[in-house]
Amino acid sequence: MADALQLHHRVSQFLFHEARLLDERRWDEWNALFTTDGDYWAPATPEQPEPENHVSLIYENDLLRKVRIARFASPNAPSLQPFPRTVHLLSNVMVDAHDSASGEVIATSRFLMIEYRRDKQRFYAGAYRHELASETDGYRIRQKRVDLVNCDGAHESSAIWF
Amino acid sequence: MTTLIDNRPVSIDPLSLVEPDRVHRSVYTDAAVFDLEMDRIWHRTWIYVGHESQVKEPGQYYATVIGRQPVIMTRHTDGKVYVIHNRCAHKGALLVGDREGKVKELRCCYHGWRFAMDGSLLGIPLEDGYDDTRFDRNGPEANVPQVARMDSYRGFVFASLNPDVPELKSWLGGVASSIDNMVDRAPEGELEVAGGVMRYEHDCNWKFFIENLNDMMHPMVTHQSSSLTARVVAKKELPADEAVPSAIEIIAPFTESYSFFDDMGVHAFEYGHGFSGGKTSIHAKYSNIPEYNERMEKAYGKKRFEEIMTVNRHNTIFYPSATIKGAIQTMRVVRPVAVDKTIIESWTFRLKGAPDELLKRSILYCNLINSSANLVGPDDQEAYRRQQVGLLSEGGDWVTMHRDFGKDEEIAPGHLFARGSSDISFRNQYRAWRRYMCGEA
Repeated sequence: MADALQLHHRVSQFLFHEARLLDERRWDEWNALFTTDGDYWAPATPEQPEPENHVSLIYENDLLRKVRIARFASPNAPSLQPFPRTVHLLSNVMVDAHDSASGEVIATSRFLMIEYRRDKQRFYAGAYRHELASETDGYRIRQKRVDLVNCDGAHESSAIWF
Repeated sequence: MTTLIDNRPVSIDPLSLVEPDRVHRSVYTDAAVFDLEMDRIWHRTWIYVGHESQVKEPGQYYATVIGRQPVIMTRHTDGKVYVIHNRCAHKGALLVGDREGKVKELRCCYHGWRFAMDGSLLGIPLEDGYDDTRFDRNGPEANVPQVARMDSYRGFVFASLNPDVPELKSWLGGVASSIDNMVDRAPEGELEVAGGVMRYEHDCNWKFFIENLNDMMHPMVTHQSSSLTARVVAKKELPADEAVPSAIEIIAPFTESYSFFDDMGVHAFEYGHGFSGGKTSIHAKYSNIPEYNERMEKAYGKKRFEEIMTVNRHNTIFYPSATIKGAIQTMRVVRPVAVDKTIIESWTFRLKGAPDELLKRSILYCNLINSSANLVGPDDQEAYRRQQVGLLSEGGDWVTMHRDFGKDEEIAPGHLFARGSSDISFRNQYRAWRRYMCGEA
């Protein structure tokens, strides 16, 4: 029981930290949480089996995340003027699988992202699924999957990772 | 001045809003103009409904709108595709509530009236209650009406609420060849919808989107932050000897030079249609997929295959409701909601008989360029939004379309051509807009 509590705590703290880096715009630190081949995936349909044969709201590897980050600093990105602010709230954290030999974890959680830009507040809600690798200095994200509750709805523009 | 048009009192005179080289700001901002556009354009001409492959089997349906009116595209037991009004013949409730599905028959959720997929009445509970009344169970009013006109061109289904439209093929005119080229790129000569749909809500008038498609003076400005940045980051991050990833191949050309876009050229046709590119476009330099080339050569022979691939168009516009990119097999569909709200649907197509890589590339393109959460589309959308708000200003009443005015080259009757940087595409669209709005087309 103590081990399970400790594991849950460790995983939760990691997920909270990840969410906090997004809200604090610490983009490089955030991207460093991924393994070099880790991907970020927000499907565009419920229960989407994979990202290559169906469109996705976002499906980004390390290179595309770096492009997005570099763009955040661009003075020529009209949709980022003014720059959006976000709060990522995270709860219902469950450790769904844990390999005690490798330390790998699959964790699911629920989230609410509130995004504010130019007099308008938008809400995004959904489920996270994190595949985490365990490295000497902590967890790394192999995949962060974001299933928005309205993933197949009509969306307005958004710039920040959910 | 108040006149009565279509039994609706309107205080606008569409003729006064469009001149050959400029357009009045109220075409984008005035809700009364939008209402009239719905009546005069969207409810009067051919509007793209969907692709036949969305309703492959009898009983399948796809629900959408023509302008403001809900319709259903169906496949009937006779194997044919129909477009019927999404309205029960009884009390008018929507017959289907989902966007797509498969049913044995259409049964209204309210009083259980049942209809075949072509709209014909199958049954009414306690039908004898209508005996000896004016309601004729076998008359046309008992059926869900089919829309006035429906036709398809190589799988693309268009419909019109107005019976007096030209034949679809003749209405498409010079842009039918863009559909041909997209379909011919399939080794089996057929397309099917695949990979889902993405719906993007734009907080702007529908015309900003459709005008932007062949606006060749914007990419190198609007897309600096995504396209130029992608070039720089890729150069920094990737080893020099590594092949350029498909994602970068797709994003980088958005910041090609003015001369590149100028050379693409713009073709303009009747009814506001047109396309940019021709021999080349921003899609021309994608990596070869050898297996695809082999299958195409086998299907068509080397000469015909090369002919097909020589055509490389950018955006083809089927004014006012749809645009395709034949070279990358994507389509965007325009669904106006209000004067300042529009939903853009993005579709991808599988080239039947082609390797999976082709569809995967179309999907990658759609993710990177058409998604609401990508790095390219939101900057376009922001520019439209700024126009939507900026044009509320009384600081100027007219929007210019003067670039290269008077320099269009007439290639054939009804077919004009100009260099990419020309405003020809805008002028052509507003020529059609004016005719539609005056009830001439």
